[in-house]
Amino acid sequence: MAPVTRGMRARAAASLDRIPHDALFEALLPLPARELCRLRAVSRAWSSLTSDPAFVGAHSASHQGPLFLARFRGDRARVYVIDLAGAVLKRLAIAGAAGLHVQPTRLPLACLAADWNASCRVLNPATGAVRALPPGPAPEHRNRVILRDPYTFFALGLVRSTGQYKVFRMLNQLGFLDGGEQLFEVLTLNNGSNDPIIPSWTAQPKPSLCIEACTGVVVDAAVYFLVSRGYKPVTLHDAGARSDHILSFDLATEQWRRGTLAGPIGQEIDGAEDFLKRRHRLGLAELSGSLVLVYKRREEVFFVMDMWFRTGFENGGWEKKYTLQTQVIAPIADNLDHVRPVLVLDDGRLVIHEAQVGVLIIWDPRTNSFVELRRLIDSVGVFTGSLLSIQ
Amino acid sequence: MASAGSGDEKAAAAAMITLISSDNEKFEVTEATATLSQTIRHMIEDGCTDGGVPLPNVTSKILARVIEYCKKHATAAAGEEGSSSSFSDAAFLEVDRAFLEELEEFDDAFLEVDRATLFDLILAANYLDIKGLLNLTCQKVADSVKGKTPEQIREMYNIVNDLTPEEEAEIRRETQWAFE
Repeated sequence: MAPVTRGMRARAAASLDRIPHDALFEALLPLPARELCRLRAVSRAWSSLTSDPAFVGAHSASHQGPLFLARFRGDRARVYVIDLAGAVLKRLAIAGAAGLHVQPTRLPLACLAADWNASCRVLNPATGAVRALPPGPAPEHRNRVILRDPYTFFALGLVRSTGQYKVFRMLNQLGFLDGGEQLFEVLTLNNGSNDPIIPSWTAQPKPSLCIEACTGVVVDAAVYFLVSRGYKPVTLHDAGARSDHILSFDLATEQWRRGTLAGPIGQEIDGAEDFLKRRHRLGLAELSGSLVLVYKRREEVFFVMDMWFRTGFENGGWEKKYTLQTQVIAPIADNLDHVRPVLVLDDGRLVIHEAQVGVLIIWDPRTNSFVELRRLIDSVGVFTGSLLSIQ
Repeated sequence: MASAGSGDEKAAAAAMITLISSDNEKFEVTEATATLSQTIRHMIEDGCTDGGVPLPNVTSKILARVIEYCKKHATAAAGEEGSSSSFSDAAFLEVDRAFLEELEEFDDAFLEVDRATLFDLILAANYLDIKGLLNLTCQKVADSVKGKTPEQIREMYNIVNDLTPEEEAEIRRETQWAFE
């Protein structure tokens, strides 16, 4: 055995290897995710500690504040993880991401898709793993869609009972302006990115009415849409439907739910105004786990946005929880669609995205004051996972 | 502080605890000081402190430092308890603030130690289950790690890199974003 010198003893005494697991856990917990990921290369003990689910869970719980996934104007190749202060925590290079938007989800995964593109990518922002979903249609829909120039909609949802992620998509048969049809498909993502079997799309039935695809939003594993007013031959009036009527597709059972859910304001707005003038817009959002009907309009110099929360589903009602009236966000009348509430923060403030200017702002409803979070953001979603997660 | 402490001193005089370090040195401390350690608190509750509490994992040098910390913070705890009953005016708040500042200065000075001592303190705080001391010393480690590369941390803390070159390359690839 080699003799133990005084120097060796001194070095050993000052070695962090002496620190027990629990104490190292405590010592590393305050560090931000970026620092911790860098420290994984220190040694095996540091790598396994910072990847341990118990550590990852404790880290998420003690580092408050939501994370956002954003695409920045002019950067065609990357997706960014930013925090509530607008600081960039992580950049992810995504092959083939040009033209794809971050879909408005609030999950540990993200979905990148476009309105005129049948391809879609599912991204794990923690690991950087990207899965390109096959653009080709379900067998039943072959020869019924022109993939060169389709009008599309994608939604990613998590079915909590099974832990499975599913992607819902709508494709339009060419010529929809002349009464073409909407085709629906679902793809179930297999767990684990190493699975060699590529999942494929399965054809889904059609609902009783046409949907306004761009309004689609996922709330608790169901995709909600406003009914469409643009399709022939059925006009809303003929079908007995109002512009605030909502259809929903259940991702767990892969069925359209029976009937329509009536919004709180259709009577008022359908009667009062001519749709073609488009002085107002309706949208849907998911906030605090609720389906929200967003009623946007111009009132003189103000932009006004009412947010009606659905309380309960079968026998529930609608509650108008927020009304934003401002000149700070000022979309011109034709661009009301570009404003979207993104998230309700724990302190009661709301994060709102205005896609035309590309500004992400925080609105405090109690004081009607605004804080600009970040500019030049084209699309944004909420990331609920941990950047330390390795799965 | 003095008035808050006087009642305590009377009670404490009746309850002194003897702590015995690994090198057999004896330390007499008040129960209020000793019970900042959850480990010792449980021993007192179980009535097994007669004849002293042997602490075979803690040297006299480190135990002296730990007791110094506990004495200071036990006084702080007693001061907080006194605040609700005896004082409620601005004068007390002023005293309170001054004392908290003093405590903060004490903590800063307390951490002015070499790494070997810092790790000994962490080990002792962990073994004796003294939450405040563990947080304080761990925060010092966290602050020292910030902004460093893995190489710098290995060097600074004498950590043996037991990852194979392949494993390290793999980790670095996965965490490339954190190095940019």
